[in-house]
Amino acid sequence: MIPGGQFFQQIVNGLTVGAVYALIALGYTMVYGIIELINFAHGEIYMIGAYVGTIAAALLLGAGLPATAAIPLAIVAAAAITGLYGLSAERIAYRPLRKAGRLAPLISALGLSIFLQQYVLLAQGARDKVFPEEITSSGFTLGPVRVAFVQVLILAVAALLMVALQAFVRRTRMGRAMRCAAQDPVMASLVGVPVDRVIALTFIIGSALAAVAGVLVVMYYGKVNYLAGYTAGLKAFTAAVLGGIGNIPGAMVGGLFLGVVESLAAGYIGGEYKDVVAFVMLVVVLIVRPQGLLGVRVPDKI
Amino acid sequence: MPFGSLVGRASVAAFLGLAVLGGCAGDQGKTIRVACAGPMTGEQAKQGKDMENGAILAVDEWNAKGGVLGKKIELLVYDDAQDPKQANAVANKMFTQGVVAVDGHYNSSCTIPASEVYNQRHMVCLTPASTNPQVTDRGYPTIFRVCGRDDQQGKAGAEYVVKHMPGARVAVLDDKTTYGQGLAQEFLKHYESLSGQKVVFTGVIVKDDQDFTPTLTTMKSYNPDIVYFGGLYPQGGLIMKQMRQLGLKAAFMSGDGTYDPEFIRIAGAENAEGAYLTFIPDQEKIPAAQRVVAAYKKRFGELGPYSLYSYEAINIALQGMAKAGTTDGLKVAQAIHAMTFDTVFGPMRFDQKGDVLVSPYVMWQVRGGKLVQLPPDS
Repeated sequence: MIPGGQFFQQIVNGLTVGAVYALIALGYTMVYGIIELINFAHGEIYMIGAYVGTIAAALLLGAGLPATAAIPLAIVAAAAITGLYGLSAERIAYRPLRKAGRLAPLISALGLSIFLQQYVLLAQGARDKVFPEEITSSGFTLGPVRVAFVQVLILAVAALLMVALQAFVRRTRMGRAMRCAAQDPVMASLVGVPVDRVIALTFIIGSALAAVAGVLVVMYYGKVNYLAGYTAGLKAFTAAVLGGIGNIPGAMVGGLFLGVVESLAAGYIGGEYKDVVAFVMLVVVLIVRPQGLLGVRVPDKI
Repeated sequence: MPFGSLVGRASVAAFLGLAVLGGCAGDQGKTIRVACAGPMTGEQAKQGKDMENGAILAVDEWNAKGGVLGKKIELLVYDDAQDPKQANAVANKMFTQGVVAVDGHYNSSCTIPASEVYNQRHMVCLTPASTNPQVTDRGYPTIFRVCGRDDQQGKAGAEYVVKHMPGARVAVLDDKTTYGQGLAQEFLKHYESLSGQKVVFTGVIVKDDQDFTPTLTTMKSYNPDIVYFGGLYPQGGLIMKQMRQLGLKAAFMSGDGTYDPEFIRIAGAENAEGAYLTFIPDQEKIPAAQRVVAAYKKRFGELGPYSLYSYEAINIALQGMAKAGTTDGLKVAQAIHAMTFDTVFGPMRFDQKGDVLVSPYVMWQVRGGKLVQLPPDS
């Protein structure tokens, strides 16, 4: 293989991972944009999405559905059920603490994260769950670059969801309400924006996107376990900060950027340096642009 | 609840029993006490039970023949709960209770601290399952290992590659853990000295990751014919899967950490096909083991992977005592070092450090989605 080919292969691999980071990062950034809370339980929400998708796929395939119907249905089911998890998380762990200052909801988020992780451990066991349908490793070759079909699927679904989310926030009434609540929740509620409902919806959308990312990852890697949310959540949070937390396009750019940087670092320096390089990049970006790549400077936020 | 109260009574009885045993340590002259120590509770309780069953079988056979040195043998079972601290504590307890030989422990992390006590107290210890080189590398005279070592495994893999794939381009990966890195380095060392060739690529993956494609992509550009991986089955499965996704058709080889049906499930049967794994032989197929396997199965049901090693650990300790004519640990250990034992695994001898001379590892391969042991000369 020519060296140039290897470089492009690393880029394609990095973009695949980055698209997943971006989908998860959206949940962090949307919640932060509205209530300035870093939802540390979001990684666990992603992990639950992966479990729900795996279980749904197993049930649907067991019921005799062909994979082409069962897998999209499993993704939809995972998004819907995990959205409800997000909604309950907001109701139970965050809404009662809305006026309690900044630290209390943060601790509550950490507690929820531990709770969800242990709950899945108890309910599903410590062993890896394997996706029921063997996703074929086949793909196509583009010059020197090998692309698996499942990578195309991940990139396509992620792109579609990001475009749809951007359209929703920019063009719909509810999206406008969301932007209002993000700017000034008190003022928004005075002019009739149902802020509580907007916040609940934000959690649902964020969780559903994380669930889709979860199912795509199980399909790509073939397995998930109860600890999967920790690393993925940390990386996605980094992506959100990198892109500028609170900024939706920023989360997408941050995710893709992080994925590619990690891939190149692991490929050209060594697997053990992947995280080192990724976090050095984060530090450098934050020194040069504290608001993140696409973030807007807001002096009041943490 | 009747069951609960039964368990309660049993544990009270066991407690009193141990207290009584502890009280009459001076009375040990009537029997010879040997111990089986391992994880009897917790998630590895099955492995502990497998060891215990093997030990019971051996002790009963000896007692049926009249015991050793004219005395009956008494087996005491100790639980180390797979905890190094607990292992150390039970080791001390064994000494106070007059145990002269130990069949244990299961985890290397338990055998290593416990053997400090055995060494100090001159108790003979034969581990049936701990494969870390450190167990015997400290050179303690009374510590033996009946099973193989991680470095013998690396060597077995290297010999196979040199013999069956001469001139192959070899890549080596590991997961940076004590086990994985150690295994990969042993493979590399033996491969390079046996073949006189250098490996074309060495790489590292991080165990907590799922995406190994960056490292695998770089590895692919070196065009390897076979990839050796030191690590465990979840990562091994992902590596095989991602290698095939990247269109890398190289063969795959790994060790006992990857020997698990989950490996095939994670990789996908199609991707895992042809993978080579070094592991101990299928004991149910060893001709010399047939009598013992049948007796074991009749009494305890299914054979555990380390049951027969535990059985032989007891046999070796008792044969050593018979030969030495005493239960004095140092003398028994000397006798064991000098003897050749006729075991279910074939003749067994120990080297200076207390390791078996003949490496027990054989090659297994994934065929049709199942792990199959390859014949020794294939």
